[in-house]
Amino acid sequence: MTLLLGLVLGAVFGAILQLSGASSYTKIIGTLRLRDFTIMKLIITAIGVGLIGVHALDAVGVAHMKVKDLYVPGIVVAGLIFGVGFAVTGYCPGTALAAAAEGKPDAWMTIVGGLCGALTFAFLWPDLESSLASLGGFGPVTIHESLGINGLVIALPLGVLCLWGAVKLPEGRAT
Amino acid sequence: MRQQVTDHKKAIIPILPWWAGGLAVGVVLLVAVALIQPIGVSTQYVVLDGVLLHSLFPEAAENSPYLKAAGKEWTLATYEFLFVVGIPIGAFLAATVTNRFSMRVVPSIWAERFGPAPVKRLIWSFVGGFLLLFGARFGGGCTSGHMISGVSQLAVSSFAFSAALFASAILTARWLYPEREER
Repeated sequence: MTLLLGLVLGAVFGAILQLSGASSYTKIIGTLRLRDFTIMKLIITAIGVGLIGVHALDAVGVAHMKVKDLYVPGIVVAGLIFGVGFAVTGYCPGTALAAAAEGKPDAWMTIVGGLCGALTFAFLWPDLESSLASLGGFGPVTIHESLGINGLVIALPLGVLCLWGAVKLPEGRAT
Repeated sequence: MRQQVTDHKKAIIPILPWWAGGLAVGVVLLVAVALIQPIGVSTQYVVLDGVLLHSLFPEAAENSPYLKAAGKEWTLATYEFLFVVGIPIGAFLAATVTNRFSMRVVPSIWAERFGPAPVKRLIWSFVGGFLLLFGARFGGGCTSGHMISGVSQLAVSSFAFSAALFASAILTARWLYPEREER
């Protein structure tokens, strides 16, 4: 039952990525060149809904939270590496799967490259764990817990701000 | 030929407006958080690596603590993996139903800038994909796990990862596609 739920939820997610243009190289590069903001508006909307919804679910005690560890230099280096790959391929690990299913051979190569990159990382991990990833480790910190307040106090205004920003952000600028 | 070009162009135009797409992604996240756990994709690349390696060279896979931790019992029959399997299925159905399935190798803007050679685009896609998953695994998540799920939970690591990601992606895109002097 849980397996089927995963498949269905994944399929809905994949269909949304496809239909909203998130799996398109042209749309992603337009976003990163700060020319086409439709995908940015989409992401900010999703985060706005997520912020308010996740913390509302948490407030009534039904959220399954899973917060990732913070390790300061490591996570920034990781983000920088990811960003280069994102701009070169025009895909992220999820949208590459969607684009590959739309028939894009470059997305297939992105996935193959990704499997190799993930495997390389897996074998480098014991060394990285003892060096970069152990520096500045704070564990799974969240903003509201480190301030000692309820998540909704921050998530609600920030979520509203995201939704407002998503509406206000122009769709793009002339090329 | 011209027909094909217009088909490619048409396939780029989204069917769903941004607000519907954003709302729908948000709802998927909320359903996932309410029922199981936040959404994530990139871990499953490691899981697939581990299961493939384990079936070919069991010892090599067993010797990697990272693969072992991700792969659990070396099985793909998990909620997390099926979520990721669902993505291409849903995208394929959506593209087929809306008549937007297209086998183009080189995106048109890439061809304008770097030429129409398919091999060049495919090699760079491989290199980029390598960096993408290396970075995602190092950071512990990707766009879905960090930016959508993580920021929604107000995770500090996810804010840091997302900021670094966008800074570097925007700079890289600017380097690949320099802005023209005249406007």
